Amino acid sequence: MSKLISNAAVRGIVRLGNIIVPGDGDMPSYEEYGGYEHVDDLLEHAPKSDIGDLGLLLSVLSFMPKFVLVWLVNMMGASHGKGNGLWILLRQLDMGIRGIVLSTYYTEKGGASFSGTAPLDGIDYSITRMED
Amino acid sequence: MKDFIIVGSGSSGGILARSLQEGGADVTLIEAGKFFRKDTFPRTEAAYSSQLFWGGGLEFDDKAKSAYLRAKCVGGTTNVNQCLMNRFDDMAMDDWRDRSGIDWLTVDALNPHYDKVEDLMELHTFEKKDFNRNAELFTGGCDKLGYGWKYLRRGQKDCKIEEGNDCIGCLGGCQRDSKQSTLVIGIQVAEKLGLEVLSNFEADTVVHHEDHVVLLGEHEGQKKELSARRMILAGGSFGTTKILLNSGLKKALPALGKGFCQHPQYMAFGVFDEPVDSHKGAFQTVASGDPNMRKAGFKLENVYAPPIAVGMLFNSYGREHQRLMKKYRYMACIEAAVRDQPEGGELDVDKKGNLIVRKTLTEQDLVRADKGIEAIHNVFAAVGAKEVVDSPFYFGLHLMGGCSFGTDPNKSVINPDFQVHGHKNIYVADSSVFPSAPGINPSLTIMALSQKMGEELLKN
Repeated sequence: MSKLISNAAVRGIVRLGNIIVPGDGDMPSYEEYGGYEHVDDLLEHAPKSDIGDLGLLLSVLSFMPKFVLVWLVNMMGASHGKGNGLWILLRQLDMGIRGIVLSTYYTEKGGASFSGTAPLDGIDYSITRMED
Repeated sequence: MKDFIIVGSGSSGGILARSLQEGGADVTLIEAGKFFRKDTFPRTEAAYSSQLFWGGGLEFDDKAKSAYLRAKCVGGTTNVNQCLMNRFDDMAMDDWRDRSGIDWLTVDALNPHYDKVEDLMELHTFEKKDFNRNAELFTGGCDKLGYGWKYLRRGQKDCKIEEGNDCIGCLGGCQRDSKQSTLVIGIQVAEKLGLEVLSNFEADTVVHHEDHVVLLGEHEGQKKELSARRMILAGGSFGTTKILLNSGLKKALPALGKGFCQHPQYMAFGVFDEPVDSHKGAFQTVASGDPNMRKAGFKLENVYAPPIAVGMLFNSYGREHQRLMKKYRYMACIEAAVRDQPEGGELDVDKKGNLIVRKTLTEQDLVRADKGIEAIHNVFAAVGAKEVVDSPFYFGLHLMGGCSFGTDPNKSVINPDFQVHGHKNIYVADSSVFPSAPGINPSLTIMALSQKMGEELLKN
């Protein structure tokens, strides 16, 4: 699926994505929307060293029990406004992981098999571009 | 050998490319990013966020407390900002003159250069008829509280807003060349006069010689060496400082890297019962214009952001995240931008030559931020917001300092003639030369300083 990170890493994104955006009656879950199928569109422009480190971490996380991932996401959220040490890593993770998840969710490109209300439609977002 | 190589194509480089090329010089313009034009700029938020910015979207300080948005494309940040064009005031210039010891840093001395830069572009000052609901709420709240506000002046032409164009889209580059970026007013004009543009060229170091300068870097992934009689570094605070640090100039210039400022920006969202549609129409038309806020060291800007950015600004997950995002159309947004002290910021490089940003907000910065956020809450309360959501993050769009100019080589990097102290063939006039944060949008002043430098270079 991805040419830049492993299938396990993609699975890690999907599991974390489902915690960040679980979906409800109006909005699809992260996994249901399937924007992660286009994750390479983002990663191909990121620094190569960042992709390597993040891919490894996501692969490890893909094997963790859900309660560990929920704890991690909560810690990431709590890291802002905190001190240094481990908090720095958690803040970096928060911005990196949420950046990927939200960029592949609030986007026009969903998964190949998705049929439903896309997230941008779910929040009723549209803009008009008047080109030359 | 070329007369000039300009490294960086944003507010400074784009203006210099045009003025030097028009003056008959032989110029090469170097840019680390890609060369997009109006018909090739990425059209979606996800695409332009990853393709037009350093770091694939965001960069961070060493503590990951502050995020930075720095464009990486021909035209630089002038492609992705709101092209707000403000002249500096006496408060900003007096501080620069005190810190630098440079006598000509006055509003009066810069005015002719502001005039000349403004002559290069179309300027539009907004009026009430241009307001979207976000602006109505902002000005309504300010009026109730007695806060002063002002219409913004933007570099733009034929934006078609009255016909329904939503200019939030041009945060990813203007698709109609309406935005008066340096891509439009500088580079594309200079190209017609013979300007050579090398995109995807990441500069690494410079080597100064008596009669020329050598630039080392990578072009399209291949090592490359270029020479010119004079080198102009225009990579902004991060880019220019990094090149000079990697060129080994820190020992000779102890002030190199010091004095980094960023106008830390804090965003808050007011949630209303009725749709606000802050993303529609003219995106940013007003800001605070209150002398008391100016004295207190902050200003308020009436802004918004597209969905991914808004989602990132909330510190929420799961159902709460979704609840807030469903309110996207019901939110107004105000940002407090702080005039931060240069003493808290320093730029450095690691052993691999990667940039390290160290930024500690001083006590004064934090007091100013608190006052700004309090003012935002007051405005939202005055116009009946049902809920106010503060973003826990602050970020920097105006990256300044690191190569401050001044008369003393022990306390500054660039001399009053825009040359690196002791390196007569290397010039800088971008935001890295700022001795302190002005508390005012910096683009126009970077352009004016660059115009002044270009004029002096052509005289010589």
